[in-house]
Amino acid sequence: MSTSPVRAAMVPVMRQLRAYFAPMNRTTGTPTIFDPGKYGAFLLDAPPAPWLDLGWVDNFQRLCTTLTEPVRAGVPSTPATQFRGPLDARIEFDFREWGKLQMALACGSEHMNVLASNPNANPQPSGGTPLPAVALLAGSTASEIVLGVGAVNAFSVGDIVAVDADYQQQTGYVGSGISAAYVSDPANVNNDANYIRRVTFNLGRVAQETATSLLLAQPLLGGTPPVGASAQKVIAFVDRDGGSFFQEWSALFVAEEESGGRVCFHYPRLSPTTAIETSMSLNPAAQPRAVKAFQHEENIEITKPISALALHAAFQGMPHVDENDGQTVVCYRSYFPAAMAAVY
Amino acid sequence: MQFTKDSFYMALLERLVSLNPMQTITLDGTTRPAIIVAENELVTSAQPVSDAFYIEWGDAQMVAGQVGDRGLMEMDCLISYHTFGTVQSGVDRGRALAALDMELLSICEPPRTSKRDYTQAPSVDLGTSILWTTPTFGKVSGSDAAKNERLPLGNEGVRLERSASLKVFFFPEVNFL
Repeated sequence: MSTSPVRAAMVPVMRQLRAYFAPMNRTTGTPTIFDPGKYGAFLLDAPPAPWLDLGWVDNFQRLCTTLTEPVRAGVPSTPATQFRGPLDARIEFDFREWGKLQMALACGSEHMNVLASNPNANPQPSGGTPLPAVALLAGSTASEIVLGVGAVNAFSVGDIVAVDADYQQQTGYVGSGISAAYVSDPANVNNDANYIRRVTFNLGRVAQETATSLLLAQPLLGGTPPVGASAQKVIAFVDRDGGSFFQEWSALFVAEEESGGRVCFHYPRLSPTTAIETSMSLNPAAQPRAVKAFQHEENIEITKPISALALHAAFQGMPHVDENDGQTVVCYRSYFPAAMAAVY
Repeated sequence: MQFTKDSFYMALLERLVSLNPMQTITLDGTTRPAIIVAENELVTSAQPVSDAFYIEWGDAQMVAGQVGDRGLMEMDCLISYHTFGTVQSGVDRGRALAALDMELLSICEPPRTSKRDYTQAPSVDLGTSILWTTPTFGKVSGSDAAKNERLPLGNEGVRLERSASLKVFFFPEVNFL
């Protein structure tokens, strides 16, 4: 028998962890499922649709506070059986890259696109009255926005554009392809025709211009723009402490396989949280819960005084019913053993 | 990486021209701003010219904790210069060196510039910036002194020189999307 304390091929070695998120259908509550049998060995730079690569993350922690409790019987009392208490699982990590999705997920609420505004508009912290939207013409796709001769000149190479439908006074989730906010009363958003473009995830950076259209560097997340969509220039992104909307996404985290074995963590439903409880009890009244202050950004020192800012994010795992056995679960951990590794 | 080197050089050159347009040298028959990237020059046996900043590039590596081809990198940079002073006797060589010190500090601020592709004309903005630390000045050393030189640093020598080191941070030239 080998004298080595572990068998090498059975030790997953990782250097970094990569995050992928996919939108949920908020109207039906349907998550995006990562099927390890179909997609497990995907190239990390080319995740299967609709998973979106959100880059490497640091300080990843999976926190499970689901307790098991014994049922005792007999004299003297001994554990007779066990049951699981309230299901509770959270994760925390730092996004090392900033972008629309990373900010929206770290913030957790409505995430605003600051539309280029009219110079005479009143100042607003999330953007004032915007410049008029430019209507899309037929033939637009997720990568090419057709605006027509002349109209295309409202934009330049390098601009970020928001492409979505006008707000039509509807209530419910808004945003093409990905639910970006929930409107319960049109008056709350000032009946603003631009509201959906203020929150939409359908953004792209103009890489090239033709005589009639904008060619985007990355396709719109929501796919082909809806009929009646318009485009507006985005200057910046804004998130806010507060807001009533909760983002909810499906997530996948992959530990890059350095030694051959890949480990994935799949959360069918994740909802952002902030307060991270450091201790929990089945009976909250019996023991006060210690709450750690949530830090929105992490400073990662490069060399004094230069540091990188990372987006700190925390999520509550939401329940999902596994269709194979009807069990309610929060997270799936999958392991793809290295080739020829021992099975046990 | 070459875009970073070029962008750093061009930033300092443009700032030097703006700060002190008279700070020029004549090299290979051409008069130019007194800032030189050593590795870009013809290999000759000539000594470095005085009152000019010589840029030399050193070690490059990923910043600690960064991995992958999109991580932040750092590269060592050494900028050296020397002077004989502005008068025949050389008695103002200390002042001349101090003026070069201050010029270097000035042209290194702000400690960032956009990274551009200077292989094209006009140059193309590559979308990110490079940044650098404040220069750390090394000791002044003198040379070409009389044979009876006895002072520890040789500052009585007619040639006073100094090197300043800094680190330049940048994202490598890859597709970021």
